[in-house]
Amino acid sequence: MIVTDTIHLALRNLREAVLRTALTALGVSIGIASLVGMVSFGVGLQDQIVGNFLRSGLFNSITVTSALPAMARLRRTKGVERFIKGIEPSQPAAVRPKLDDSALQKLAALDRVKEVYPDIRVPVEVKLEDFSEFSAAAGIPMSARGEGVFQQISIGQFFPNDAGDSCMISLDFAHRITDGDVKTLLGKELTLGYATSANPAPSIPGIPAAGLSVQRTEKKFHIVGIVERQAGGGMGAGMFTSVMIPLAIARQMNAYDVSNPQDILRQLAEKSTYTTATVKVARPQDTEEVEKKIRDMGFTAVSVADLMQGQKRAFILLDLLLGLVGSIALTVASLGIINTMVMSILERTREIGIMKAVGGSDEDIRRIFLIEASLIGLVGGTFGIALGWAVGRVINLGANIYLQNQGAPTANLFLIPWWLVAGGIGFALLISLLAGSFPAMRAARLDPIQALRHD
Amino acid sequence: MHLMDIVLETRDLTKHYSMGSVVVRALDGITLRVARGEFLGLLGTSGSGKSTLLNLIAGLDRPTSGSLRVFDHNLADLSREALSVHRRKNVGMIFQSFNLIPTMTAAENVALSMMFAGVPRAQRERHARELLEKVGLAGRQLHRPKELSGGEQQRVAIARALANQPEILLADEPTGNLDSKTAGEILALLRELNTNEAKTVILVTHDSALASKFVQRTMTLLDGKVVAEAGS
Repeated sequence: MIVTDTIHLALRNLREAVLRTALTALGVSIGIASLVGMVSFGVGLQDQIVGNFLRSGLFNSITVTSALPAMARLRRTKGVERFIKGIEPSQPAAVRPKLDDSALQKLAALDRVKEVYPDIRVPVEVKLEDFSEFSAAAGIPMSARGEGVFQQISIGQFFPNDAGDSCMISLDFAHRITDGDVKTLLGKELTLGYATSANPAPSIPGIPAAGLSVQRTEKKFHIVGIVERQAGGGMGAGMFTSVMIPLAIARQMNAYDVSNPQDILRQLAEKSTYTTATVKVARPQDTEEVEKKIRDMGFTAVSVADLMQGQKRAFILLDLLLGLVGSIALTVASLGIINTMVMSILERTREIGIMKAVGGSDEDIRRIFLIEASLIGLVGGTFGIALGWAVGRVINLGANIYLQNQGAPTANLFLIPWWLVAGGIGFALLISLLAGSFPAMRAARLDPIQALRHD
Repeated sequence: MHLMDIVLETRDLTKHYSMGSVVVRALDGITLRVARGEFLGLLGTSGSGKSTLLNLIAGLDRPTSGSLRVFDHNLADLSREALSVHRRKNVGMIFQSFNLIPTMTAAENVALSMMFAGVPRAQRERHARELLEKVGLAGRQLHRPKELSGGEQQRVAIARALANQPEILLADEPTGNLDSKTAGEILALLRELNTNEAKTVILVTHDSALASKFVQRTMTLLDGKVVAEAGS
């Protein structure tokens, strides 16, 4: 028997009982819709939470430090130990390398690394007209434009270039400077006072020169932008300070943190050694591999991805759970298919007998019924996806109206990716094939003589 | 009878049914031979086993013991799949109650067995039309069974039985639901197919008077045994 003929015959049978077919397909639709709705809610929720991090640009950055002395104390805390172990260098402590310029070059040479820059914070005194405050200025690389807290700059803009005398300030800081409109601060000149070494480089490397002396240096910057820390951008705190200046300028300043004797001593002995550096990788999925290589080099490496590992597992569990709940309706729907097919076979017993009498084989009969079941599944599945999508839209609309009333940004809570469409229809097909296989087998095994006697 | 011309041969054929604890001997040792082109009448009262014998020959049922050869095959040894091939290719069945599929047109009913034989659609439709013309139903292709008279329905069934060009036609009380005039016409059609196309016809009927006008040879069954034979 030709396959297309089998399909035609199956379609004809379905048309003959159009109401029953439609109701059964509707049952499958509702099953698939609830499954798709549940999973798409899980996917949407995950996208809301994980996606925010991805867009923040922090998923592809790794923070590298040469050592984590403070971790020794934390280690005693339960649970923290495992996390620390994961981020620590793979080599023993004795041979830990320094995080200096040559180390940064080596990091930059690693595969899939896009950019490496040191994290520099300069303790400064900020002066603007009669305002003065001690604070820290962070060196921001040009590549941070449009990422993290710099995704949207409330007022003004990002540095035009990294060589200029431009700076950005935080909105909080701007409010501290002026009681009036913070917009008037744009273009104003900010004076940063900071400490530099008055000593020449030590004659014997490694031994700090006696009689440490520090001198005050001043540098002027123009305010080009005012940045607001956003609710979701908590992870971007590393780069967010009161005053942000271009990284290249911060490196040139060679400032001391006079409040930290360690820093002074170390910097005298080991010029341009950094406490931390940031490594940016090309794609978020490269993070883990690059992190491992950095640890192999003897550094401590930590990324947001490390923190997100547990969350990912939680989302997989959530999706599974939602999928299970959604599957209950599908199970009921599959019973509906079995019921419909069994009824259909009862009704068409005589017809099956006739088909067998004129030469239909068991396999022919089985296929006709299997195709009927899978057509119900296909139609039900397709309609179910549409139904699930529509219900998701409606709930989303309601949720967004609520969110708007609460003053929160709107969100897309239901996401139906292509894999869910294909998976939903595929699952409907599979379920209906499984549900149809028993009735189809029964139809195939019917005794033709008894079937012909059937009314 | 030349040995080459034997299309059907049974030897000690039995068929027993269990009805609860009672064993019904529907067929109790039937031995018969049918030659190519014969028109054989199987006579007997209801319960004599004549329909059971026809169902065995048709491959719709399996014998309890004995041999049942149609052409080169012992049907008792065939698989379910091979039996369906036998039903499709070797025999054409005609029933008392016509057994047409009510939701299909006359042409679709005729084409059904060709569909199972894997004949492409266009060829199927053409052949179905030709067959309907042959049985005198030109122009009735698109009618459904309930739009046709009993005689016309039986003609559709005969056309269907001829669809895959089987050598043997098996007719189980084909006139049982028809008035005597129509019954005569149907039997005349079978006779015509027997003489003009050399189809071997086995006719099961309880109407010996009617049968005697058309068949060459009769066998009368009673309680699963052949009790009388007549004709050449």
